[in-house]
Amino acid sequence: MNFAHLHLLVNEFPIIGTIVGLGLFLVSLRGKHGDSRRASLIIFAAMALLAILAFFTGVGAQGAIRKTPGVSEDLIARHQGAAMLALLFMEITGAFSVVALWKSQDASRAGNWNWSLSAVLLFSIVTVGLMARVGATGGEIRHPEIEKSQDATTEGSMASKIVRRFEPSPEKFAGVMTASKWWWAFMMDMHFVGLAVLIGTVGILNLRVLGFAKQIPFQSVHQFVPWAIAGFGINLVTGVLAFTGMDQYYTYDWAFWLKMLAIMLLGLNVAVFYLTGAFESVKSLGPGENAPPFAKFIAATSMVLWFAVITLGRYIQSYSDTISVHK
Amino acid sequence: MAPPLFLQTIEDTGFSTWLRESESPFAFYFILLFHTFGLALLVGANTVVDLRLLGVARAVPITPLKRLFPIMWIGFAMNAVTGVLLVIAYPTKSLTNPDFYAKLTVIGFAVWVMQSLKTRVFEDSSLSETEMMERGARLAKWSLALWFGAITAGRLLAYTYKYLTFPS
Repeated sequence: MNFAHLHLLVNEFPIIGTIVGLGLFLVSLRGKHGDSRRASLIIFAAMALLAILAFFTGVGAQGAIRKTPGVSEDLIARHQGAAMLALLFMEITGAFSVVALWKSQDASRAGNWNWSLSAVLLFSIVTVGLMARVGATGGEIRHPEIEKSQDATTEGSMASKIVRRFEPSPEKFAGVMTASKWWWAFMMDMHFVGLAVLIGTVGILNLRVLGFAKQIPFQSVHQFVPWAIAGFGINLVTGVLAFTGMDQYYTYDWAFWLKMLAIMLLGLNVAVFYLTGAFESVKSLGPGENAPPFAKFIAATSMVLWFAVITLGRYIQSYSDTISVHK
Repeated sequence: MAPPLFLQTIEDTGFSTWLRESESPFAFYFILLFHTFGLALLVGANTVVDLRLLGVARAVPITPLKRLFPIMWIGFAMNAVTGVLLVIAYPTKSLTNPDFYAKLTVIGFAVWVMQSLKTRVFEDSSLSETEMMERGARLAKWSLALWFGAITAGRLLAYTYKYLTFPS
C-alpha cells in the first residue's frame, strides 16, 4: 500500500458524499423533513473533514506516480489546483453546516429557515460542481483513454474555462505561503492560540461530563462549544495552509499522519457523542448530577485524543522524512 | 558584543548537550511537548474563566470555575520547569534574545492578572454574579491580551534568535 492507494481509498468520499448531502438537502426543502436536512448537514461536516484527508494524501500519490511513463505533471498540477478550489468551497460548506446544526438544536426553532441554511445550499451546489471537476481532472491523470472524449468537459467548455481561472497554481500558492518567515510565524502563532482556546473550552465541557465542578449544569457549559469550534476552525485553516506551503515536508512524516488519524477519530468521537444518545443522556444534567458511564467514556476518549493531537503535532518536526520515498 | 562566557559553560555541560543533541524522542522534543501541555492547561483554563467573565456562556455559574485555578497553576509549574530545561538546552539562543525577556515580562503580568482574578473576583464571597462580572471584565480582557502576547512572544523565539549556540 502506498499513498496512491490511500488517495484512491479516501478521495471518493467528498465527491460522492457532497452529492448525497445535496440530494438530501434538496429533498428536505419540500415539506417538513427535518431529519433529512439534519442528515445532509452532518454529511457536509463529515465530508469537510474527509476532504482534507483526500487532499493531503494527494501529494503522496503524486510522488508515487510522477515517474510513471505517460503521467503528466501538468495534469497533476491541474488536478491539484482544482482540488484546492474545491477544498475551499467544501470547508465553507462544512463551516456553514456546523453553524446550521448549532442553530437547529433549539427545538422551538429547529424547523425554521435561517441564513446559514441559505449559505449551505449555495455553497454546497458550487462544491458539488467543483468536486466533479476534481474527479474528472484526477481521472485523466491515469486514464489517458478518457482524456480525448472528456476533453470538452474539462478544458473546452465555457464553464470549465471560467472555473480554471479561479484555480490556484499549487506551486505559486506554496510559494506565497513560504515567501515570508513572518507570515509563517503568524500562522504557527495562530495555530497555538487556536490550540489554547480549543483545549480550554473542550476541556471544561469534558471535565464536567467526567464529574469535575459538578455544580455546573451541563447545558450551560455546552454554550462554550462555538468557541471550541472557532478554535478548531483557526487550526484547520492555519494547518491546511501550512500543509500547502510545505507539502513534501508533512507528507513523509509519520507523526503528521498519526495526528491526522487522531483528528479523524475525534470527528468520530463528536459524531458518537451527538448521535448515539450520549448527548441526550447528559443534556439535562443539573447541579451535582452524574453523567452515565458511556458519556464519561466519550469525554475521556476526547481528552486523550486531543492530547494525542498535541503530542503528535509537537513531534512532526523530529519525524520528518520517516516515510521512505520511492524515487 | 560577544555573549557572556557563562552561556558557553552551561552549553558545554553533558546535560545541556544531551538535551540539545540527543536523538531520543524523550530529550528536547519531550520537554517541548510538556511545555505545550502546560500552555494548554494554563492558557486554556484561564481563557474559559476570562470568556465567562466577559459574558460568554452566561448560564454557567461563575463560582465553581474557581476549581480551574489549580489547573492553571499545574500548567504554570509544568512550564516553569520545562522552560528552565529549554533554557539549559539552548542558553545562548534564549538569553541573547530580547524577545525572551519580553516573553518573561508578559508572563509575569499575565500571572499577576490571573492571581488578581482569583483574589478579587473569586475569593470575595460577598459578590453577586453581576458584581463578579463587573469587577472581572477588565482583568479578563487584560488576561486574554497578555496570554495572547505570551504565546506570540514564545512562538517568535523560534524566528528571532541571533545565535543558535555559542559562537565559536
